[in-house]
Amino acid sequence: MELNLNRVDYMQVGVTSQKTMRLLPAIGRKATQKVAVADQDGVITCFGMKKGEAVPVFKTLPGQKITRLDLGGALGTPQEKIFVAAGSEVRGYTKKGKQFLSFEANLAESIKAMYVSGADLFVCASYIYNHYCDCKDQDYYLSGDKINDIVCLPAEGPVRIVPVLACQDRVLRVLQGSELNYEVEVSGPPSVLELNSKDGGSGTREVLYGTADGKLGLVKINETSSDQRWELDNEKKKGGILCIDTFDILGDGVREILVGRDDGTVEVYGLDSSSEPTLRFEHVLSESVTSIQGGCVGKENYDEVLTATYTGWVTGLTTEPQQEEAGPGEEMKMSQETQNKVAALRAELEQLQLKVLQEREKYQQTSQSSTALSAVPVFSVNDKLTLCQDDASYSLTLEVQTAIDNLLLQSDVPIDLLDVDKNSAVVSFSECDSEQPNGNFLLATYRCQANTTRLELKVRSIEGQYGTLQAYITPRLQPKTCQVRQYQIKPLSLHQRTHSIDQDRPMNTLTLIGQFSLAEIHSWVVFCLPEVPEKTPAGETVTFYFQNTFLGTQLETTYSKGEGNFKSDNISTISILKDVLSKEATKRKINLNISYDINEESVSHTLKMIHPKLEYQLLLAKKVQLIDALKELQVHEGNADFLIPEYRSILDESTHLLEEYKKQPAHLERLYGMITDLFIDKFKFKGQNVKTKVSMLLEILDNYDLNSLMNFFNEA
Amino acid sequence: MTITIVSFSTKKTGASHATMLVPIFTLKLNHKINPRMVTVGKFDGVHPCLTAATQAGKVFIHNPHGRGQRVASHRLSQSAQDSDITLLNINQAVSCLTSGKLGPSTTGDSLLVGSQTNLLAYDVHDNSDIFYREVSDGANAIVLGKLGDISAPLAIIGGNCALQGFDYEGNDQFWTVTGDNVRSLVLCDFTGDGKNELLVGSEDFDIRVFKEDELVSEMSENETVTSLCHMHGSRFGYALANGTVGVYDRTARYWRIKSKNHAMSIHAFDLNADGVVELITGWSNGKIDARSDRTGEVIFKDNFSSSVAGVVEGDYRMDGQVQLICTSVEGEVRGYLPASKEMKGNLMDTSVEQDLIRELSQRRQNLLLELRNYEENAKASAGAPVTEGDTQMGVIPANTQLQTALSVKGATESQKAHIELNISTPNETIIRAVLIFAEGIFEGESHVVHPSAQNLSGCVRVPIIPPKDIPVDLHIKAFVGGKNSTQFHVFEITRQLPRFSMYDLNVDPAAALPTGRVTFNVNDRPQRVVMWLNQNFLLPEGTDTPDVCFTSLRQGGLLSISMQSNGEITLKTDDIDLAGDLVQSLASFLAIDDLQVEADFPAYFEEVRVTLTEVDEFHSVHQKLTAAMADHSNHIRNMLVQAEDARLMGEMVTMKKRYIELYDLNRDLINEYKIRSNNHNALLNCLKSVNQAIQRAGRLRVGKPKNQVITACRDAIKSNNVNALFKVMRAGTASS
Repeated sequence: MELNLNRVDYMQVGVTSQKTMRLLPAIGRKATQKVAVADQDGVITCFGMKKGEAVPVFKTLPGQKITRLDLGGALGTPQEKIFVAAGSEVRGYTKKGKQFLSFEANLAESIKAMYVSGADLFVCASYIYNHYCDCKDQDYYLSGDKINDIVCLPAEGPVRIVPVLACQDRVLRVLQGSELNYEVEVSGPPSVLELNSKDGGSGTREVLYGTADGKLGLVKINETSSDQRWELDNEKKKGGILCIDTFDILGDGVREILVGRDDGTVEVYGLDSSSEPTLRFEHVLSESVTSIQGGCVGKENYDEVLTATYTGWVTGLTTEPQQEEAGPGEEMKMSQETQNKVAALRAELEQLQLKVLQEREKYQQTSQSSTALSAVPVFSVNDKLTLCQDDASYSLTLEVQTAIDNLLLQSDVPIDLLDVDKNSAVVSFSECDSEQPNGNFLLATYRCQANTTRLELKVRSIEGQYGTLQAYITPRLQPKTCQVRQYQIKPLSLHQRTHSIDQDRPMNTLTLIGQFSLAEIHSWVVFCLPEVPEKTPAGETVTFYFQNTFLGTQLETTYSKGEGNFKSDNISTISILKDVLSKEATKRKINLNISYDINEESVSHTLKMIHPKLEYQLLLAKKVQLIDALKELQVHEGNADFLIPEYRSILDESTHLLEEYKKQPAHLERLYGMITDLFIDKFKFKGQNVKTKVSMLLEILDNYDLNSLMNFFNEA
Repeated sequence: MTITIVSFSTKKTGASHATMLVPIFTLKLNHKINPRMVTVGKFDGVHPCLTAATQAGKVFIHNPHGRGQRVASHRLSQSAQDSDITLLNINQAVSCLTSGKLGPSTTGDSLLVGSQTNLLAYDVHDNSDIFYREVSDGANAIVLGKLGDISAPLAIIGGNCALQGFDYEGNDQFWTVTGDNVRSLVLCDFTGDGKNELLVGSEDFDIRVFKEDELVSEMSENETVTSLCHMHGSRFGYALANGTVGVYDRTARYWRIKSKNHAMSIHAFDLNADGVVELITGWSNGKIDARSDRTGEVIFKDNFSSSVAGVVEGDYRMDGQVQLICTSVEGEVRGYLPASKEMKGNLMDTSVEQDLIRELSQRRQNLLLELRNYEENAKASAGAPVTEGDTQMGVIPANTQLQTALSVKGATESQKAHIELNISTPNETIIRAVLIFAEGIFEGESHVVHPSAQNLSGCVRVPIIPPKDIPVDLHIKAFVGGKNSTQFHVFEITRQLPRFSMYDLNVDPAAALPTGRVTFNVNDRPQRVVMWLNQNFLLPEGTDTPDVCFTSLRQGGLLSISMQSNGEITLKTDDIDLAGDLVQSLASFLAIDDLQVEADFPAYFEEVRVTLTEVDEFHSVHQKLTAAMADHSNHIRNMLVQAEDARLMGEMVTMKKRYIELYDLNRDLINEYKIRSNNHNALLNCLKSVNQAIQRAGRLRVGKPKNQVITACRDAIKSNNVNALFKVMRAGTASS
């Protein structure tokens, strides 16, 4: 069955955080549901739809930013009590808007995630998990990395309620009381969790997870272990997942999976007979989808997918067909409802306009005063810098409540800015004299088209070059202000955390010994590598594993008070670490004893790892170069039968080849750069400077052959 | 290959996507299409044929209606892959193409194909050449139609600084020069006199309007003008190399938009059937959009998988309805019918109501946010002393005002000569960064100054070096706040940079006076000239006399302007372009329609004289090389026969020897080709500078005298009379 959903906008509230909108259960036979949505102004809005108009049930006063909204109630009764987390406080409201609970969790930080079940309340701050029952402390757990979300599998017979934490270090942590029961490794940093079936999944005990890099998966949580059911890759490079729900929108008796992403994509996945998910519907809203739920809001008997977006739009994708257009020849008629709505809006706008004009004048007048100050409140920016595994580049997304006027990108480290198809803004690169004292390597302005609230950029970094990337965002809002956001480009910027590494590879080791604390060496590791928690982990010895997303080489870091060990099969990685760490230690006047153990074999091993990539790229480049000429021959001769099979296959695959080639701009240059680094680093550790031989190396690369390259490395 | 007719549905119930314009046919031609070289011609007078330039110096003609009638001969050959397609061998890289009625007695349209050296007018129906002309200035763009009072339709080509029009007999009926390489042409009634003018877009960013050979208007843009199209009346669309498209009405720009993609082709077509054409743009990313001619608002868009090559129109289904036909570089073709009445001009796949409500709500939200800004601001400024949090927020004194000043700075050891824009705050606040958006003076559209954290201060100096003498609006955005702020106030100021800003009043007394000069008389008071000086030069204190002397910061030479009591003005400079710019600017300021000028630029004239002798040399070398090549190709034929003979006889040693010789000869031939092509390029450059010289001589005059100079110069060159040429350039006329 084809799924056809039509978009209806219901209302707009303030900027919303992730998972802050829910539908209240339908009351009795009245089939439409009320919507409860909370925003960052601290306002909870509860409304229902009547004849196409949003009718508020209640609205609370502004306060602290609300980070989560959940529904609860005594087990076995309709879950219609509204719970919100704001700061370190949890508040409860009845469906009429009466506050019945105000609970201060006494956490040092504000609450990031929350789950409510009967009398049980689970809250998470950055690293801390707390369980309360009837507002009394029960359990406590300190996670190794940031907690992004939490769900709980319901109690079943003798089994107690089971909390599952989604943690930034790519694991789901399954708890038992205050203890970690076991960990489930997932392929990306999980950003959201949801029970596969909301009623507790009678026996299925499955949890859906979405990751920040856009993957969707299902795991079954058993008593002491887990089963991965399936995981969907993010081949089309859609945004990260922010919210998930299950709902039978097709009406076929099976719940579909509803997914909202941070690039505005809303998806509906159906499960086929073998319970494998397939995409049934997709719609793109222009901004992050922060909450999603299936239900019935706009009109009785028509189910819909309700979403809340970053700028506070509550939008339905409904199964209700769109109204028929007026017949031929007639003027387009708007329904009476819409006309009223438009008239009301226009009237309101007019009043607002007047008020704004007055205020604007007042503001202008203060500029005459010599004592008055001008302070415009900080606007909220939703930003994210993520490393994309498949092309080893960073993707920077920026989202603002109102349209962006322009963006200034500045970097004090050499980076390349790549073109993104989705991004329609006009980019202009400004000249920057890096020899000048200002030290700019990149100055680029983006002038945005009207109504752009979200911008996506792609940035390519070079390992070993580190510094800060800054984005100055100016929205189209009076009085005009701009906000700066900073992003660290780390020395080993292309590395990504993994769960384990291959111990059989030839490894080079770098050892640090000195008078430093665990916190100190941890801060150096944080400085050098992405995806490491800022907080010093518990325990005496800390181990992290990393993978180079571009080359596939690996790195193991193990450190404790006074000693650090860094193992990698890539000599360049070790070289970068050595340089940065000694610089950092010198800066802090710490005496370090750095020793290294270089495994000669590792160099040929790395070259062999690069070999297939390089060979593929060279062949691709060669083939692509031939396409045009071959096509010309084909046109000239009328057919391609006279060509040798190799050339014919190039012609047959030409579209595919061109696509592949376009996908990886400058891939070959990057590989050459890394081979050159490898060459220089190998001899640096021997105390030789081989920079003069680089031109010879490049010559060899021009006529690439693995053996001659390895010989060159060995003989030089 | 057949045309896939997709039924044109306007389903009104059920499906939500009913009201969207869909292609009425799509074709996949197995031939690449060169950008901007697409046309539809009825070569037999009846059947429309999509015709486009493709790879390997070929033109393909797609004729789905008249099948299997043609025989392959002469230039034409049937495509082996596809019976609907005929290939036309040009044997040169095609640079432009069009079709239309050229001759008075032909049954169908003629096809015109231009290359860098030749123009071919071809009768496809009769499979014969109408004419084949050598065009030394190349043909970058072509247009076919009537121009001014010239009775016969002309094929007008634009090449390197030159425009040339041919009638059906190949006679050169029209010729003039223009400022730079021509990239786009269109004919339209610009002045509203019922006769066509020629609009010319060129690489010096100008759109020029020629009433026959008289230049009547000039509009300056900020990038190479790549496409022009006539909309209706005196309105026309244009596209620039930097991704801008827009619409002009006469000399006034109606609207323009800029995209990060490039506009490959523009075309006027009434897609929503409201009686007014829209501007259809095909983009490099494969997008097609239709924009309202009044507002630039998008009323329709669609996407191809590869870059658009050309947008044309024609009744391709032969049912009496004209379709918009869009083609991609990969050979995909789509045809769209104008919207039917039921669609009421709404071609987009969205609900108007929803969009309206959304837009209004968004506006409300914006106003509410602005109000909140003022409220919070009032709270903050009434409130407590400045805290740490406030400095993060970027609190500044309310009376902070930004001061800007422009000044001319001569060259120093560390810095080139430039104009300095000084931006400063009056108090302890700092300027975090300055963004300047301006057209035509930076590499991109903006210039950024971002001092490092330790160099932050309340004053920023921005050096600006405008590459050309054009007036520029500088849109300045300065981020003002505290040293540790994360949020800044944005001050927006617009300053104008006068046209002749790179000229410094500081003159080195030892500098030699320029030898070049122009003299002319004006019937105006000196005060008016003083006014012009003050408006067009960067003079901090202003001047009260029309006699001034500047140092040019670009070339370093002097520029002196003087006016006598009888109204005689003398401009002294060695830069003939600058002299031309000054004359044009002054004449338009003083509203002078016709101005005769006496000029002398000894150094430049000598350069032109050398160039002219070079042209002769290159021509003779060219002839020699052509002869040599003919010799070689005969030689090759012989050698090949000998080698093959040897092979058949089994004399492998001889064969090898012959083939080695052949290989050597081939190498020689390639080398010779390189020489030839270098020679040709050098020749082209020379011809370009000759054309430029004529154009420059013209620019020193205004109105009728200007056209006289250009015509007289051309006559002098045609008759190879170098002395007469310089006489014309000096005096403005050939006689006396």
